[in-house]
Amino acid sequence: MTARPVLSVFSLTGEKTATTPLPAVFEAPIRPDIVQFVHTNMNKNNRQAYAVSMKAGKQVSASSWGTGRAVARIPRVGGGGTSRSGQGAFGNMCRGGRMFAPTKTWRKWNRKINTTQKRYAVASALAASAVPALVMARGHKVDEVPEIPLVLDTSLESTKKTSAAKDILASVGALDDVEKAAASKQVRAGKGKMRNRRYTLRRGPLVIYNENDGVAQAFRNLPGVELCCVSRLNLLQLAPGGHMGRFCIWSQAAVEALDTIYGPEGKRIPSASMTNADLARLINSDEIQSVLKPAMCNDKKPLRKKNAIKNIKALEKLDPYAAAARLAETRAMEARAGKKS
Amino acid sequence: MVQVSNQLLWEVVKNNNCFMKKVNGRSRRSGTMRFSVEKNNLRSISSYKHSGIASTQAVGIASKNDSAVLYTKTASKCATTTAIAEIPLNKPFAKVVQTVEKTLSDNYYRRDLKNDALAKFSAVYQANRRAKGVKKVVPVKKGRA
Repeated sequence: MTARPVLSVFSLTGEKTATTPLPAVFEAPIRPDIVQFVHTNMNKNNRQAYAVSMKAGKQVSASSWGTGRAVARIPRVGGGGTSRSGQGAFGNMCRGGRMFAPTKTWRKWNRKINTTQKRYAVASALAASAVPALVMARGHKVDEVPEIPLVLDTSLESTKKTSAAKDILASVGALDDVEKAAASKQVRAGKGKMRNRRYTLRRGPLVIYNENDGVAQAFRNLPGVELCCVSRLNLLQLAPGGHMGRFCIWSQAAVEALDTIYGPEGKRIPSASMTNADLARLINSDEIQSVLKPAMCNDKKPLRKKNAIKNIKALEKLDPYAAAARLAETRAMEARAGKKS
Repeated sequence: MVQVSNQLLWEVVKNNNCFMKKVNGRSRRSGTMRFSVEKNNLRSISSYKHSGIASTQAVGIASKNDSAVLYTKTASKCATTTAIAEIPLNKPFAKVVQTVEKTLSDNYYRRDLKNDALAKFSAVYQANRRAKGVKKVVPVKKGRA
């Protein structure tokens, strides 16, 4: 691709100041299947192990009473003088017994994913974040944003105050998304609320910078806003929930760094299996239309079948002589009737 | 901005997008209707033909300040603010029908959606009139007064 489209760079007050060429990654193939696969596996990588105690339910010296005592054969706690004696032990069905298939810490919690697949997924997610339709379909409120992908001047990276950060987002049309996230804060449904995950929140814009000169501290307190350095792009942030099309706000330095990270010296950009995926244009193109047979014309609608015994016209189609024969017959009948009288 | 073909966009977006609403049909397992709430969808049905997301050309009709507006997607590739053109539909009904037909049919802009556009406009027009309180006088038949 020789002529690379150009992205507008906006100043922190919202005016278009410069332009920068579109990085090659944004033209990577969009593959929701790969992104979903990598996401579901990557999501498992920050899990903490849980398990019941190894000895749980087993620290009893119980043995079965055997048959002949009019009780079930489950091992029973021995001894006496306490209500515990004679109670069932050890089984998963017993009160105070060990559970069925006790959970173990050595369960496979994390997943290994091929590096190439991880890179493919990130490239795909980046490409999807550059398509306004996908960003809107994911649910971000980007109607007021002047251009997607949104690139701001590099001085974004030196923002120090959150109030300044809010003003920047407002002037660039990105505050709608932040407000949507702020409005969506709810107490989580389920036990997570008592396990330090009390609130749920929608995801707002992802601010991507090249060097942190205060951006991270300025923007991080805004609800829904997440930050990321270009060199460490995270699929879990680029495609939350496995769904591509996160609204990303880039600093100019970050966008320009993309060409070195993903390029001839950096990570390989995957190639598409179809360079031109526009089916409508392909089908209507001269090259294809010129070799096609003419379209079949099927105007004929089958009529309802008429009964030839009852319907004279249907009989006519089968037997061309039928009408003449009937006419002759009626005439003969009339002649006979005339003769008789 | 990246140009992605409509078919590809639809494939990515058809099963999950924030505008889709599914409604159960005759039973929980059969006849699920998929509606779509996006702005530029004339029949609010989630399908490739009517989709306002997965198309470079899309039509929408909505009510704005007591009158109707026709939205069409422009050829603008990147900008989201200039991506949609608004045509106010303030004139009397018959004139607006001409406007809609001229913008769509005569410009070869989504001619397949012309009838849907007119139907939607009728609905929006009636809704606006009812909101204003315009009531149609029902003629009393002779001999019933």
